[in-house]
Amino acid sequence: MNLKSPFLPQKSVIRSVVPMTHDNYLFEFRDSVGHFASCKPGQFVELWVPGVGEAPISVCSGSIDGNLQLLIRKVGRVTSALFDMQEGDWVGLRGPYGQGFPVEKYKGKDVCMVAGGLGVAPMRSLWQYILDHREDYGNLILIYGMRHSIDLLFRAEFKQLLRRHDIDVFIAAEEIVGPDLPPMSVQLGRVTDMVRLSAVDAGYEVAICGPPVMYKYVVQELEKKSVPDSRIWLSLERHMKCGIGKCGHCFIGGEFTCKEGPVFQLSELRMLPEVIECEGGAH
Amino acid sequence: MLKPVVLPKNAFKLFFQSLKGLGTVYAPVKVSEKSYSFKEVHSPEEIAFEALRTILPPKKFFYPQEETLIRYKNGDFEEVQPEKKFQVIFGVHPCDLASLGILDTIFSSEPADSHYLKRREQSLLVGLSCMPDKHCFCNAMNADTAGSAYDLFLTDTGEEYFIEIRSAKGVELIKSLAEKVSDANPENHEAYKEFWKKREAAFSHGLETENLRSLLDLEWENQIWDEMGKRCLSCGNCTPVCPTCYCFDLVDIAGLNAKEGERVRQWDSCQFVGFAQVNGDFNFRATPADRLKFWYRHKLHGFDDAYGFKTCVGCGRCTESCPAGIDDIVQVVKILQGKKENKHYEP
Ligand SMILES: Cc1cc2nc3c(=O)[nH]c(=O)nc-3n(C[C@H](O)[C@H](O)[C@H](O)COP(=O)(O)OP(=O)(O)OC[C@H]3O[C@@H](n4cnc5c(N)ncnc54)[C@H](O)[C@@H]3O)c2cc1C
Ligand code: SF4
Ligand code: SF4
Ligand code: FES
Repeated sequence: MNLKSPFLPQKSVIRSVVPMTHDNYLFEFRDSVGHFASCKPGQFVELWVPGVGEAPISVCSGSIDGNLQLLIRKVGRVTSALFDMQEGDWVGLRGPYGQGFPVEKYKGKDVCMVAGGLGVAPMRSLWQYILDHREDYGNLILIYGMRHSIDLLFRAEFKQLLRRHDIDVFIAAEEIVGPDLPPMSVQLGRVTDMVRLSAVDAGYEVAICGPPVMYKYVVQELEKKSVPDSRIWLSLERHMKCGIGKCGHCFIGGEFTCKEGPVFQLSELRMLPEVIECEGGAH
Repeated sequence: MLKPVVLPKNAFKLFFQSLKGLGTVYAPVKVSEKSYSFKEVHSPEEIAFEALRTILPPKKFFYPQEETLIRYKNGDFEEVQPEKKFQVIFGVHPCDLASLGILDTIFSSEPADSHYLKRREQSLLVGLSCMPDKHCFCNAMNADTAGSAYDLFLTDTGEEYFIEIRSAKGVELIKSLAEKVSDANPENHEAYKEFWKKREAAFSHGLETENLRSLLDLEWENQIWDEMGKRCLSCGNCTPVCPTCYCFDLVDIAGLNAKEGERVRQWDSCQFVGFAQVNGDFNFRATPADRLKFWYRHKLHGFDDAYGFKTCVGCGRCTESCPAGIDDIVQVVKILQGKKENKHYEP
C-alpha cells in the first residue's frame, strides 16, 4: 500500500511578515510547487508550527500566485509561536480545505459582503477575487465592523476601496479609539447598523463571516430586508483539527463543517441543530 | 462466498496453530471478576470463549489510543509508518465486526487514512458467535449477524464450529486445515440455524428503532437531556469504549531539544468541555447536556446523511461503563419515544 498520510504538510517558507495591528500580522508564504494555486475564496489551510501544533487559517488573498497570504491573530500557542518566526523560517501547510464562497453562483448577481472582526481575513479573499473579475458581478457592497476603530485591518487597502465607485464600502466601529490616521470614513455603530444603512435587498447574494455571536443579529437584519435564506451564505468557525472530515471536532448536525463548509447556505443550516447559537464569548 | 466448513472443537488447537502461523494472535482474556480484554494469547487455554464485551473494542488494533503520524528532526519531517506486523484478532462478535465495517468506511473515504488502512491490511479477523445479555441490542441496530468485515466467522453449534469464509486470506487458512475441516452438511446447517434462532430469542431489550431519525430531531429539546446532564460527569468513558467512536486530537510532542519531536494522534472525546470550543472562548457545547445529546444524536442519527449508517451497533459498552449510571441508550430511546416514564432519570 503506497498511500501517503493526509496529515503530511507542505513545507512553506515565510516570505514576509507585515504587522497590521499589535496582534494581527499578515504572513506571506512561498508556494513554490503551486500546491495552493487552486485555493478558492473562503477556503482554509492547516498551518503547522513544528513542536507546537496546527491551526486552521483562512486563505486571505483572492489569487494565489506563487505566494499564499494569511492574516493571523495572536491568540494562543500556535499563533504566538508563529509571531516569533521571521522571514526565511518555514512552517507546514496542508490544504486547501473546505468549500469556499460559491463565486460561480454569484456570477451576474449583486453581492453584499459582511465581515466582523477577524472575519475580514476570509472576506478579503472574496472581495479581491470579485474585483479581479469585476465584469462578472453586479452591484457590490462591503461591510466591515469591529469593536474598536484602532483594530481596523488592511487600512491601506480599505483606503483604496473607499475611493472606488464600483463598490459601496461601509466601515463601522463600536468605539472610536486612538488616532484615526490616515483619516478613514469609520462610522460609529455595528455591522447590523451598516446592513440597515446599505442598499442590500432581496436580490443580493450575501456572504457573512465573523464571530459566532454576530450571525444571529445580521441574519435578523437581512430578514427585515427580505433577503431569502437561500441567498445568505455563512462561513462557520468550528474547532477544526484535521480539516479533512476525520477528527470529528467540527461535526454539526449531519455535516462536517471542514468538508461541506465552512461556507454554508442559511437555508441548509436552518435544518441543523446547534448551528448559530453558542455559549460564552465576549460580546 | 465460499461454502461453509465445519471444524470439530477438538481440532481447535490446530486451527489456533494456523492462526499463530500468520502473526500475533489477540483474543478476549479474562482480566478480572467481570471484565475481559483483547490481549495477546499463545495458546487456546488463555482464550475466554465466554467473553461477551471486552472493556475496549477491537478498534484499538487498527486505531491505537496514541500513534505517531509524523516525525520532525533538524528542519525536516517525514511520515512515520505503522509497524510491519500481522495481527490476528480472534473472537470478534457481530457488533464489533459491524463497528469495524463502519470504521473501514470512514477511514477509507477520501482522503483515506493511511495509518488505519495499513494496519487493517495486515490483519485477519476471526468472528465468533455469542449469546446476548441484558445490555445487548445489536439486533435492533442491524449489527447482529456476521456482516462483511470478517475473514472467518465461527458459529458455536455445540460439538463443532460452523465456519463462514469471506476473504482470500480466510480461504488460505482453511485450505491449510483441509485434513481437519469438512464441508458443512445439511445437519450442520440445521444446527447453525438453530443457534441463531435461539440467539435471536435471547434478546430482552424490547427496543424499536424504526423512527430514530425523526425521533432524535423532534426530541432535541426533551427535558431528559438536562436531567441526564445534571448527573453526567463528563468523564468521557462512553467514547473510548464505543467500538465506532473515533474522534481524535492531533498534538505535537517535542523531544528533549526543540529541534525534534513528533506529531501524534490521540483519541479524543466529544464529552470533554473543550471539544467544540473555538477561538474567543465560544463554546458550541458548553454544558454536559449539550454534549450528551450531541453524542446520542450522533450515534443514532448523525451519520444517516453523511455516510448512510448509524454509528451505534448496540454492544452495550457505554451503558456498562458509565460511572453515573445514566448512559443507557435503550432506556433513553424508550423515554424519548414515550414508551417509558422518565422515572429512571429523576435527579
Ligand atoms: C475555518 C477557520 C478559519 C480561520 N481563519 C483564521 C484566520 O484567517 N486568521 C486567524 O488568526 N485565525 C483564524 N481562525 C482561528 C484560528 O484557527 C485559531 O485562532 C487558532 O487555532 C488558535 O490556535 P492557537 O494555538 O494559537 O491557540 P490555542 O492556544 O489553541 O487556543 C486559543 C483559543 O483558540 C481556540 N482554538 C484552538 N484551536 C482551535 C481550532 N483548531 N479552531 C478553532 N479554535 C481553536 C481555543 O479554544 C482557545 O479559545 C480560523 C479558524 C477556523 C476554524
Ligand atoms: S453507543 Fe454504546 S451501545 Fe452503541 S456501539 Fe457505542 S458503546 Fe456500544
Ligand atoms: S460515561 Fe456517563 S458520566 Fe461519563 S461522560 Fe459518558 S454519559 Fe457522562
Ligand atoms: S476538522 Fe476534523 S472532521 Fe472536520
